[in-house]
Amino acid sequence: MNPTTPFSGQTVDRVDGKLKVTGRALYAADHPVENLCHGYLIQSSIPRGTIAAMDVTEAQASPGVLAIFTPFNPLKLYTPLGQGEGAISGDFIPLLQNPEVHYFGQTIGLVVAESFEQARDAAALVKVNYQAQPAVIDVDAGLGQAYPPKSVNDLSATVSVFADGVSSIDAALGEAEVSVSGTYSNPIEHHNPMEPHATTAVWSENRLTIYDATQWVQGQQRNLAAVLDVDEADVRVICPFVGGAFGCKGSMWMHSPLTAAAARVLNRPVKTVLTRGQMFTAVGHRPIVRQTVTLGANRDGTLTAVKHEAVSSTSRVKLFVESAAHRTSLALYKAPNILVSHRVVPLDIAPGTFMRAPGVAPGMFALESAMDELAVKLGIDPVELRLRNYATVDPNKKLPWSSKHLDECYRVGAERFGWSDRHAEPATARDGDWLVGTGMATALYPAHRSKAEAKIRLQADGTASISSATHDLGTGMYTVLAIVASQSLGIPVDRIRPVLGDSALPLSPVAGGSQSTASVGPAVLSAAESAKKKLIAAAIAGQRSPLSGMKGDQVSFENGELRAGSKSIPFEQVLAALGRASIDGSGTASAGEEEHQYAFLSFGAQFCEVRVNEWTGEARVSRFTSVMDIGTVVSSKTARSQVIGGIVFGIGMGLLEATQMDPRSGWIANRNIAEYLVPTNADVPKIEVELLNFPDTVFNPLGARGIGEIGIAGVPSAIANAIFNATGKRVRDLPIRPESLLTEPGHPNLA
Amino acid sequence: MKAFVYRPVQSTQEATTAGSQSAFIAGGTNLVDLMKIDVMTPSELVDINQLPLKGVTLNTEELRIGALERMAQVAERPEVVQEFPVISQALLKSASAQLRNMASIGGNLMQRTRCGYFRDVETPCNKRNPGSGCPAFEGENRMHAILGVSDACCATHPSDLAVALVALDATITLQGPNGTRSAKLDDFYLLPGNTPDREHDIQPGELITEVKVPRQPWYRRSVYLKIRDRESYEFALCSAAVALQLDGQIVRDARVAAGGVGTKPWRLPDVAEALIGKQVSKSAFETAAEQAAAGAKPLKQNAFKVTLLKRTIARALIQAGGIA
Repeated sequence: MNPTTPFSGQTVDRVDGKLKVTGRALYAADHPVENLCHGYLIQSSIPRGTIAAMDVTEAQASPGVLAIFTPFNPLKLYTPLGQGEGAISGDFIPLLQNPEVHYFGQTIGLVVAESFEQARDAAALVKVNYQAQPAVIDVDAGLGQAYPPKSVNDLSATVSVFADGVSSIDAALGEAEVSVSGTYSNPIEHHNPMEPHATTAVWSENRLTIYDATQWVQGQQRNLAAVLDVDEADVRVICPFVGGAFGCKGSMWMHSPLTAAAARVLNRPVKTVLTRGQMFTAVGHRPIVRQTVTLGANRDGTLTAVKHEAVSSTSRVKLFVESAAHRTSLALYKAPNILVSHRVVPLDIAPGTFMRAPGVAPGMFALESAMDELAVKLGIDPVELRLRNYATVDPNKKLPWSSKHLDECYRVGAERFGWSDRHAEPATARDGDWLVGTGMATALYPAHRSKAEAKIRLQADGTASISSATHDLGTGMYTVLAIVASQSLGIPVDRIRPVLGDSALPLSPVAGGSQSTASVGPAVLSAAESAKKKLIAAAIAGQRSPLSGMKGDQVSFENGELRAGSKSIPFEQVLAALGRASIDGSGTASAGEEEHQYAFLSFGAQFCEVRVNEWTGEARVSRFTSVMDIGTVVSSKTARSQVIGGIVFGIGMGLLEATQMDPRSGWIANRNIAEYLVPTNADVPKIEVELLNFPDTVFNPLGARGIGEIGIAGVPSAIANAIFNATGKRVRDLPIRPESLLTEPGHPNLA
Repeated sequence: MKAFVYRPVQSTQEATTAGSQSAFIAGGTNLVDLMKIDVMTPSELVDINQLPLKGVTLNTEELRIGALERMAQVAERPEVVQEFPVISQALLKSASAQLRNMASIGGNLMQRTRCGYFRDVETPCNKRNPGSGCPAFEGENRMHAILGVSDACCATHPSDLAVALVALDATITLQGPNGTRSAKLDDFYLLPGNTPDREHDIQPGELITEVKVPRQPWYRRSVYLKIRDRESYEFALCSAAVALQLDGQIVRDARVAAGGVGTKPWRLPDVAEALIGKQVSKSAFETAAEQAAAGAKPLKQNAFKVTLLKRTIARALIQAGGIA
């Protein structure tokens, strides 16, 4: 296949599906290791202060205990790599290096014992004596300390675009014929992947092999090397399968190097598996975001000014900026005047981190709710209002889009959903005592791409292995890359052997930011071309080759065969004739000049129907239609699953998810998955997903943009907008639970 | 988890020798969970699964359910589905299919509160550690009780089944070292008062062997309505168990109880009383339900439960009355 032609996708079953459903896929905690002992984290029970003393006497004496590491008996760890050093660190400093406590649930010790249970029980016997200091947990209490971070998504904390002669956003808003303004919020949310974080560290001489739950084996490799003070080449990180991540496995968290350091000191392999409860403070969360959006418009719905101000929580000791306005209001609508701003509120809480569609998920909730409010105020159909403000160039960068078919998403979505049948007047449709409403919202997510490498090995048994140090997080990457290789070599998918998740494999970026297909896919195309060329060269040069002595331009590689004149010989026969076990091709791919000439975004439209019980106020999503413009659809089955998963995530964000933190202590009431609510099957209706499949070959030769995160974008606002349509009540705070809807007009008790 | 002795027993007599530091284990779905987080630390587990405490029987007087019946089995029994739909529905809306397959009826009635402070040994809790205080009053209390709240405790009783059973005036049979006794389930559950650690009227060695529910033909007209944030696998924000005896369109008798709002399964005899003699109508049901929250002490995050309780009761009555 010529990598410059658009790629056509395929519908195949997950190539790793059978392994997973039969329990043979090895996740981070599953790798069999001999002579293993077990680590268990000790976490702080106060939010701020100093550990005066830790009494480990009883714990040390309890059965099976091998060691207890604390700030008073620390494992030496060095500072992790910083931004721009090829790795991401989630924690604030190497933990255990001093007795300071900066948040509830901070790791303050590691117990290592012969069994997990022994380590856990010993950890419960460690007595910690704290000197507590006052802590600020509550956002309201911390607002006075809010400050603009140095950068937000590589932009300034405040970014404005003004039409000629406009002095300020407020001046522009003042001139508007109509305006709406609202403040929107989301609570702390936690990723809660099904697979907990787990690390198994095995040292051999001075070389470390570590089985770790991560989205980035090579980032983890670099970071572990730095923190443990060993050579990067002496660290190998292995993670072939990830049981969900959603961002919380993108950074290095300190349990990994702590486990490795303990294994080095004890001269034994150590495995640490985090408990569900520990994951609520040890591996990040989505920060609280509060946003005020003010829209100014003409009576015909044309936006004249967009002001979008966001404040997000951050751990005082580790800055993480959950942007909101920057990634949304600067990118979506054609408004002559836009101002976005961001401040962070430092709190004495655990560090936040990337969580599915960081910045976009909260930002789109606010912006797309505000657009609905404007549509209602103006009496314009919400889809029509969006079309009237359709941007044909990036509103901030003023660059053309590489490929944009959002109008098609709106059109197809409205048609599929039956949008024209809706009751525009709120609280006018019902089914028994259920108030029925419909709502829609736009989806977007930046199209990212990073440098990546891949290797293809044509093998004598007629198979081809492809390898890259990327990951399948449950996303479908094994299948995606198998399809890319299958099409570029012209052999069936079942003859492709994808190998991922090992730091020793070719360079790959973090499996985050929805960039893996767009980054690694083109590298596989390039590797395939290289493998074909090498095979042809070998076939011509080989004495015993059936193509011996032919010229390069006489031989071509098509459908897994070398062809020359009337001859067509499967590559495995060529290898056999040559006496070769295999031939390798390597490929590299990265963005070029187009990076500065275009803007790159994925787009979509979300439509939903919601039912709210008029008596008891519970809202249930009853129908969902999603149309996505994400470039080439390489693997239609897994791509659809990605969007469905994102929508389910969005239903959780819209109606259920909230980490409940005691404002006095940072203690978390619901650090388990019985009470941290995510949707069950019963909460998820039939979800219809349509993928438009317009290849974006300006972006990369495969034409694919990412699809991992866009599914959640816009979902909470589509739900909130549908709830408004059902009940007449505008809810601006997530999650939308019965208490927000109990006082609904429409109920017979209420006027 | 604290080390314990495991002792399977073959006879109920043998079981009742269990001491104050022992715990009976049947399905273990709640007990083992709490043992893993050190909230319950029995020194001995007495496994009662081999005891002859199974069987569901219905005669003209009553329904009898053996304490070792599994929730899933009872929920699907035709006599329960037909004659006591409120019990079947309460069971089916409990927990998850996996838990219902494991959990016993007796164990369900003995399950402990989901209050997060109770479940975390690092925090004070008057129920777990008497006198240590209660952080829930000023802390995270959205899921907590508004009825039966004392100064010491506002933790909610978690069982759905118990709400249906107290509504229908069920009794339990307890066998102990000193013989067998019967208790009204409603009396068996204690209000927290100053001793929230004492949750049940039970003595060491006493074991629930059976549940008896008086039979009334009109219990066929009964409903369990459970309101929760998500549609499945969550404890109730508020629930209602109601049964109505109708004579034409006139209410002759009623049973009403609520869950998710009380420190124990909460009977609402005043609401039931207010229904008697009334014509079936939405407004009559709403008026009666207005009394449901009498004496409520809402907290900062759960004040909405006052309204939710009245609405839940009204909605359940409307459903039972067949006028939905």
